[in-house]
Amino acid sequence: MTVDIEAQEPESTAMRFEILSSALKEGTSATARIGRLAFPGRRPIDTPNFIAVTSRGTLPHVTPDNISKHLQVSGAYFSLEDFVEKSQQNLSRPPPIFSAPTSTTHPTPLHSFTGTPSHITTLLAARRLPAVPSPIGNSTKSISIFTNTGFQNLSTTEYLSAISTLQPDISIPLADLTNNTTATPTSKRALRMAERTDEWIVDWFSSPLSPSTTTFAPVLPIPYPIQWEYLSRLAEDYLPSHQLSGLAIHDPDILPDLSTHQSSLLSLPLLSLSNPSNPHQILRHISLGIDLSLPNFKTAVSPLSEGCSCYACASHHRAYVHHLLQAREMLGWTLLQVHNHAVLSQFFSGIQTTIKNGTFERERINFSRVYDPEMPAGVGERPRARGYQYMSQGGEENAGKKRNKPAWRELGPTAEGETPVEEVPETTQTPVQVPEGDGAKELQEKGLGEVVKE
Amino acid sequence: MGMWATARRMASTTRSASSAALTFELVGKCSTTRARASILTLPHGQVNLPIFMPVATQASLKGLTPEQLEATGCRLCLNNTYHLGLKPGQEVLDAVGGAHKFQGWSHNLLTDSGGFQMVSLLKLANVTEEGVRFLSPHDGSPMLLTPEHSMSLQNSIGSDIMMQLDDVLVTTHPDKARMREAMERSVRWLDRCIAAHKYPERQNLFCIIQGGLDLEMRRECCREMVARDTPGIAIGGLSGGEAKDDFCKVVATCTEQLPELKPRYVMGIGYPEDLVVSVALGADMFDCVWPTRTARFGNAITKNGVLNMKREMYAADFGPIEEGCGCQCCRPADQQGSLGITRAFIHHNAAKETVAAHLLTLHNVWYQLNLMRQAREAIIADRFPAFVNEFFGGLYPDGQSYPSWAVNALRGVGIDLLEG
Ligand SMILES: [Zn+2]
Ligand SMILES: [Zn+2]
Repeated sequence: MTVDIEAQEPESTAMRFEILSSALKEGTSATARIGRLAFPGRRPIDTPNFIAVTSRGTLPHVTPDNISKHLQVSGAYFSLEDFVEKSQQNLSRPPPIFSAPTSTTHPTPLHSFTGTPSHITTLLAARRLPAVPSPIGNSTKSISIFTNTGFQNLSTTEYLSAISTLQPDISIPLADLTNNTTATPTSKRALRMAERTDEWIVDWFSSPLSPSTTTFAPVLPIPYPIQWEYLSRLAEDYLPSHQLSGLAIHDPDILPDLSTHQSSLLSLPLLSLSNPSNPHQILRHISLGIDLSLPNFKTAVSPLSEGCSCYACASHHRAYVHHLLQAREMLGWTLLQVHNHAVLSQFFSGIQTTIKNGTFERERINFSRVYDPEMPAGVGERPRARGYQYMSQGGEENAGKKRNKPAWRELGPTAEGETPVEEVPETTQTPVQVPEGDGAKELQEKGLGEVVKE
Repeated sequence: MGMWATARRMASTTRSASSAALTFELVGKCSTTRARASILTLPHGQVNLPIFMPVATQASLKGLTPEQLEATGCRLCLNNTYHLGLKPGQEVLDAVGGAHKFQGWSHNLLTDSGGFQMVSLLKLANVTEEGVRFLSPHDGSPMLLTPEHSMSLQNSIGSDIMMQLDDVLVTTHPDKARMREAMERSVRWLDRCIAAHKYPERQNLFCIIQGGLDLEMRRECCREMVARDTPGIAIGGLSGGEAKDDFCKVVATCTEQLPELKPRYVMGIGYPEDLVVSVALGADMFDCVWPTRTARFGNAITKNGVLNMKREMYAADFGPIEEGCGCQCCRPADQQGSLGITRAFIHHNAAKETVAAHLLTLHNVWYQLNLMRQAREAIIADRFPAFVNEFFGGLYPDGQSYPSWAVNALRGVGIDLLEG
């Protein structure tokens, strides 16, 4: 009979989150824990884990085939502001993503528009991570977002409608944020942030959402006493009604307070939106109970290593990757991304093991003793927040323009017996690359001719 | 007509020729044009001709992994000697054991001599009998690249096909005496390349026919070069500056004179029309950076012409980049390995995220390889003229505005585009 009951369970339409064990015995304290988060049709995510941050719907430099083949990533963060820019040529055209067709391989409009493999769990928020602060600010019913064509308003109703159309697995309702990383809001502003976010969450939960979309409510980066009403509403109204599926926490330092005052919320999966910039921060957040992290990619840059089994390290010489970066070949970025994601995957799976073995706290303290929290400024940093490292302006006609100042100069008057060489128009041939910093001796050593003794 | 075609086809039973590191096997000839289908066996495996070879300038193809390039069906691509000489340099190449190992590419490689890249630096290089003289960047000391240097570097690279150092002039060069000097010097340099080539048993050295637009000079160069019996032959100097009619005349003049059982490589061309016409004129191999370069500007090569995905009309177009294309991006969602990429997504990220360029590169490379694959199948089935008509019909659906150079060149080998 058990079999029958299981077969009738509507598990295919619901998110499941189990806390498997935690560093402390009671699962509701602010402490490191391991768990498993599963969405129907997606690959289950063992936690603690990380979610990859996309730019304009794609993992920078990595095509979907390489994501499936070479990355262990199982979740991706998307921002709506990456998709809703006003077209300059066609102001009345609605954002195309809203009409993206679905199929069995791309089961939601979000997966479909971005070509994201179906096993990836999708998370949709309004803003990029980190978000560009807006000079305009938010209003009672909208926030200011930064699109490819400039700042524009996003109302709470527009956002809700976008979420129900795009059907992300995880949605994060709007929060009233300043996105100012340097200054903490005044207490007056902080109070308004809490009040607006609270109003917006009531609107959110009173609107119909697609049954396949879960809600991870934002927890504001302001002290607990200022947002306690909002948080107790989450715990008392929306947790029992099963409308709330997780928390999206801007500052994990609030977790001890949550543990003291609203411990029931800690049964939910806890996502950190803090975008940690080094492994120490990640470890500290996990020690407070965070299940999912959105690491800032500069974090993970580590040298390609002998022991690494990722595609970049297993299939290519380190000399080759070095060459690609030196030569500014795009494949260099791709391979670094593959490697960096592998490093993060290994890091998180190591964390899971130590939590399981009960050695997490000890290892965490060891780690902070051994490793400098300041990561070296890596070569793997993304070229630009929104962009394309080569030739972002102009069209094909600019293709021949050199990025660097020419390092070659004219040979001068033609010597006796020499024939001047005519200019070869640059048409379909490989563009000439001007070397940097290579002296004649170096060229000679490289086999590119010999120095002529005068 | 039918009987003649049959008789001619019977006459062209499979024939092949081998040299130390290459076998060329002719498997089909068009009974109308000079188009040929063949199998070229190189040290790193077999490739089918006619072929388009993508250019992985600095040992990588514009963001694609070697694995992705392999998945397009590519089995022979280019590296540029000049670039590999600069980075990583001969010492690293020797230490790693050549460019195949260096870039994780187990298939064939072709390298140029490095000379063209030097000469492209405008007035920055002079050519003497010894070699190409140029000033080193930054410290300005005079340097010299000789045929011997070029061979040594290409031997270190370990390319399956290496090119001789030649004295390249634009075909439109006005000085006939200089043109003759360049042609004759290229022949002398071939001799020096042959003498300096260390591994003829595992690397193939191709000669390069020069002589500008002067057909008589081209014929003379063919005679001289052919007499030196290299395993393959390239037609050089045609890099887009000349009128297309002149280009076709040069290719036709050379192929007429070249031995049947050797591969013929027209250097530096890649527009689909140029490829198809050159195949009709009897050429087998082509390379060009254009298909991968144009991808970075958001351009998709399709049977109906080049489409710029940045145009507003593609913003909400959820069709594949090209309907019916078999590349990973375009193939129908229910097929193995389909990525389900839409024009809308390419539009969304063209010139904004490199991934859009990588996907278009995958598509464009596939398009070029597939075009040559289709030409080959058509030649073997002896329906190449019909293929040529379909191809031009796709580009010029009005059936009228065919470029006159293509009409003329094809008429010369028995295809009348205007008659359909
Ligand atoms: Zn690695
Ligand atoms: Zn395609």
